[in-house]
Amino acid sequence: MNGEGVHFGQTRLPDRQAEVLRRAVRLEWVTIGFLVITATLVFLVLGNSQAMKAAWAEDLLSFIPPLAFLIAVRLARRRPTRRHPYGFHRSVAVGHLVAAVALTGMGAFLLVDSGLGLITAEHPTIGTVEVLGATIWLGWLMILVMAVTAIPPVVVGRLKIGLARELHDKVLYADADMNKADWMTSAGTIVGVLGIGIGLWWMDAAAAIFISVSIVHDGIGNLRAAVVDLMDARATTFDDKSPHPLAERVDHYLAGLSWVSAAGTRVRDQGHVFHIEAFVVPRKKRLSLEDIERAREGCVALDWKVQDVVIVPVPELPAVVQPVTRPGSAA
Amino acid sequence: MRKLLRATTALAITLLMLTGCGIRIPSDPRGTLEAVEGGVLRAGISPNGEWVRLDGQEPHGIEVDALTTFAESLGAKVEWTTGSEQSLVRGLEEGDLDVVAGGITEKTPWTNKAGVTRPWAQTRLEDGSTVKLVMLVPLGENAFVSELETFLIDDARDRGIAP
Repeated sequence: MNGEGVHFGQTRLPDRQAEVLRRAVRLEWVTIGFLVITATLVFLVLGNSQAMKAAWAEDLLSFIPPLAFLIAVRLARRRPTRRHPYGFHRSVAVGHLVAAVALTGMGAFLLVDSGLGLITAEHPTIGTVEVLGATIWLGWLMILVMAVTAIPPVVVGRLKIGLARELHDKVLYADADMNKADWMTSAGTIVGVLGIGIGLWWMDAAAAIFISVSIVHDGIGNLRAAVVDLMDARATTFDDKSPHPLAERVDHYLAGLSWVSAAGTRVRDQGHVFHIEAFVVPRKKRLSLEDIERAREGCVALDWKVQDVVIVPVPELPAVVQPVTRPGSAA
Repeated sequence: MRKLLRATTALAITLLMLTGCGIRIPSDPRGTLEAVEGGVLRAGISPNGEWVRLDGQEPHGIEVDALTTFAESLGAKVEWTTGSEQSLVRGLEEGDLDVVAGGITEKTPWTNKAGVTRPWAQTRLEDGSTVKLVMLVPLGENAFVSELETFLIDDARDRGIAP
């Protein structure tokens, strides 16, 4: 990159995370590459299968998360300015929200479409194609394409989850999670097309409904996560499974300082990095600016994700923070 | 990954079982091909240029010939029904017809009411543009449509009108 190294806003990324970021960017380009191939192949054999149409729509939707990630990491590098005093990290959350809305909307549309197909008993017609001079049933080609394109997303998805944890990137995680489950779409489509093959026309619509439900499920899960992040809910780990341990580390660090009797923090996940308001109750009425500044620097040194910390001396901790008292003190 | 393996195995076993049971893929939900074989091909025709002519004693024309030979290949007789495209398509929908021909091109608007074969013949119109011809079949009768397409395209090659 450049001599100064890779930044997320004001934070210079540690070498390890900078390398992870490079790999994540590369993997997302790989993802886009195979999505182009997959979407083209599926389009070529689309035919009249409802399940194939749903699978194709999902392929097209799968472009959004990697693109959102690539754009977001680019924007997140910018330094904060007067106009944007918190930096550009929220671009990750915005990208996340956009991807989630697209998923939910498209999934709902496909669900209604496939449901109508089932109700009106639309029998999908799939005829033959000519491949290298031989006439074969198009369904076999559909199954072949689905089988071939089922595996790569699973592999890439698994790789991306590890990187998402390291970078604390929720868009990357959402993308990885979708990739990982992508084989179910392929398997569902294969079952639907085989159903058409053996004369069970409804299996195609049923498979399409299954795929639509999985798209809606992904969409709603991501929608919830994105909205919760934009609402500044308590910072969680990259997979939203537990509160982020970093908040507690900051609390304990501050409570351990000699001039502090109790500390509690309010952490905003900006996407990649955290902005922290740390409330401290000083032991004495007088405190020095140097102590506060040193405490701030100490917090920033804890982890690269601690981007902005404000230390607020208060007589009493606000009710919304988890109070941590100085170890050994009687509290 | 293990789940994936399991799913693939299950799929492979299902496939083997299906082929073991003698189910043909593709097949017809309504059994059109089986009914036609050794029986009657109920063909709907609509007069259109050299493809379907109704000006003699018997219907004739390229598509009429093709359908007659197709029926022969299945050991079936043809029962002709004439009418407008719309009434013939309704015949397909109601299960009264097995196939409809009449110089119908691949741009046919009937796609959600009838199955469409892949283009089997092509011809040049007076304005110099080329059109590709298709026939209509009942929706989702995939064994029948596959059999018909395969036959028609072979037949068109022999006549030198294949696309």
